[in-house]
Amino acid sequence: MMETVAANSAGVSSIWELRQIEARPKSRRRLAWERALTALPAAALVLVLLQYKLAPNFKTTSVYRTTDIYTWFISAALACALAYFAASLASRRVYERLTRSAPIYTAVALLFLGYDRLTLKSGVLPLPYFPWPDKVLSAMYEDRVMLLDCVKNSLVLLFSGYLTGAAAGLVTGITAGLNKTVLYWVSPLIKVLGPIPSTTWVPIVLILATSLFGGSVFLIALGVWYPVTMTSLNGIQNIRPANFEVARTMGAGRLRLIFKVAIPSAMPHIFQGLTQGMSMACAALMVAEMMGVESGLGWYINWQRGWAEFAKMYSAIIVICLTFTFVNAVLTQVKRRALRWQEGGAR
Amino acid sequence: MSSASVQAIGLTKVFAREDMNATLQALDNVSLTIQPGEFVAIVGTSGCGKSTLLRIIAGLEIPTRGEVLCGGERVTGTNPKRGLVFQEHNLYPWLTVRGNIEFALKAAKKFKGSAARVRKLLEIAGLEEFANSYPHQLSGGMRQRAALIRALAIAPDVLLLDEPLGALDSFTRMNLQDEIISLWRGRGSTMILITHDVDEAIYLSQRVLIMSPRPGRITAELPVPISYPRNRSSSDFVQLRNEILLRLNFAREDMEEFNL
Repeated sequence: MMETVAANSAGVSSIWELRQIEARPKSRRRLAWERALTALPAAALVLVLLQYKLAPNFKTTSVYRTTDIYTWFISAALACALAYFAASLASRRVYERLTRSAPIYTAVALLFLGYDRLTLKSGVLPLPYFPWPDKVLSAMYEDRVMLLDCVKNSLVLLFSGYLTGAAAGLVTGITAGLNKTVLYWVSPLIKVLGPIPSTTWVPIVLILATSLFGGSVFLIALGVWYPVTMTSLNGIQNIRPANFEVARTMGAGRLRLIFKVAIPSAMPHIFQGLTQGMSMACAALMVAEMMGVESGLGWYINWQRGWAEFAKMYSAIIVICLTFTFVNAVLTQVKRRALRWQEGGAR
Repeated sequence: MSSASVQAIGLTKVFAREDMNATLQALDNVSLTIQPGEFVAIVGTSGCGKSTLLRIIAGLEIPTRGEVLCGGERVTGTNPKRGLVFQEHNLYPWLTVRGNIEFALKAAKKFKGSAARVRKLLEIAGLEEFANSYPHQLSGGMRQRAALIRALAIAPDVLLLDEPLGALDSFTRMNLQDEIISLWRGRGSTMILITHDVDEAIYLSQRVLIMSPRPGRITAELPVPISYPRNRSSSDFVQLRNEILLRLNFAREDMEEFNL
């Protein structure tokens, strides 16, 4: 994270360089194996491409007609792999990174190779349940406008619920942690509502909610509210009394104690709740969209299943996967920044 | 230069031990008077109630009986006029060294126009280069120095030191003892030091109060008539150390006399 290398008589200018100097020497065979490893992802992708273009398809009917989208997709991946390999020849640092990640990239490429063989090339896994990658990618490309719209709608709903729930959870947890009366009235509520998955309320929400959007926001918020409340309450209750005492001897008032001592002290706990809350929110979002909301990725999946469009279904699942991964990566970055003061960085 | 007298009158403190449904008496009728600008050390074995006494003076604990007057005013709670340095540095880990000092200044409403003071204090503590470091990036001695200048930044009339050097190695400790003396002589605030290190008490203070445990009482009071800077191996110093150890029941001779 922070790289500060003091002047030294060894002439070392970076932590990476230091590790290189102090690393145990590797045997010749090991070095040759590592070099070969860096070329494997590209080699596996070439195999995928060759099989796709040259091996005969299971049948020649129109259903088994393929497009160039997959060709382009694999070619792009291949281009990346080759660029990475070329960079690894030039830079020692890139090379080290590639030797670590090469096995997993190769495995992914081989997975594509195997899946293509089982579906498109041999029909062992039959249609319509097992569309091959090209079919899924084509479906994704064909419906791209609608999918993007669904992503937008899903994100709007997700964050409306998540932010509402997180705000409510922070207020409940922090006030209960600081005030005994609030804790007295809130803790039975937490004990009763907490263990119930928020999706249990779906039928009631369907009846009572004036709008499906509002009801879904409520469901998602409820799922986020519980973990955020629990962790912020815990965070506040676990603050060392000395943290408050120091500030009091300096004349700090109540607001300063809350906002400048209590909340920063509880931050590491609170972020645990915010992370847990995000997975709750994603789960609740899917349920809400599959139950009633007439837009978003969950709804899209259900709708395409109704038409037995399995390729489109899978393409939406991939988009969901990418979306949630992205959202969580953003959250992790926010956490890193907020907790950069922790020893060894934010965990 | 500002300082204030501290007067404790008949302090008695009983703690409730709810887990055992019992009470524990920490202090028994403790009275003391400290002049403005005086440096007093309180020594005693651990658990003799010396920290409780200091916390009551700071306003962090409410005495069961008795009261504390600071500069003639009754102590009813904490006040930035009475600074406290703890055994643990208790710096806020999410703030840099500078951030911690500024926190104190803002809490005491003395932040405006304090930049030069902060720079001066950082320089005194040898922490200029570490002003923007987080506490976990500092050594133990540096953290304690940072805690010390944080308490000094708000210029308290009385500085209460609760074994501030207890967790440090002996070299760092000796260095910081000299720094504490020069800070005190430069600023002139009243100092009350709690310690279980007899040498530290003699080296720093003008007067040593001895406490005995269960319940905590002040059993003796010895002036330290040695001029600063003090020599830890001078005969006056050694003689005073023996006398204090004797009164703490740690010297071998005359054991019976004190066990009676």
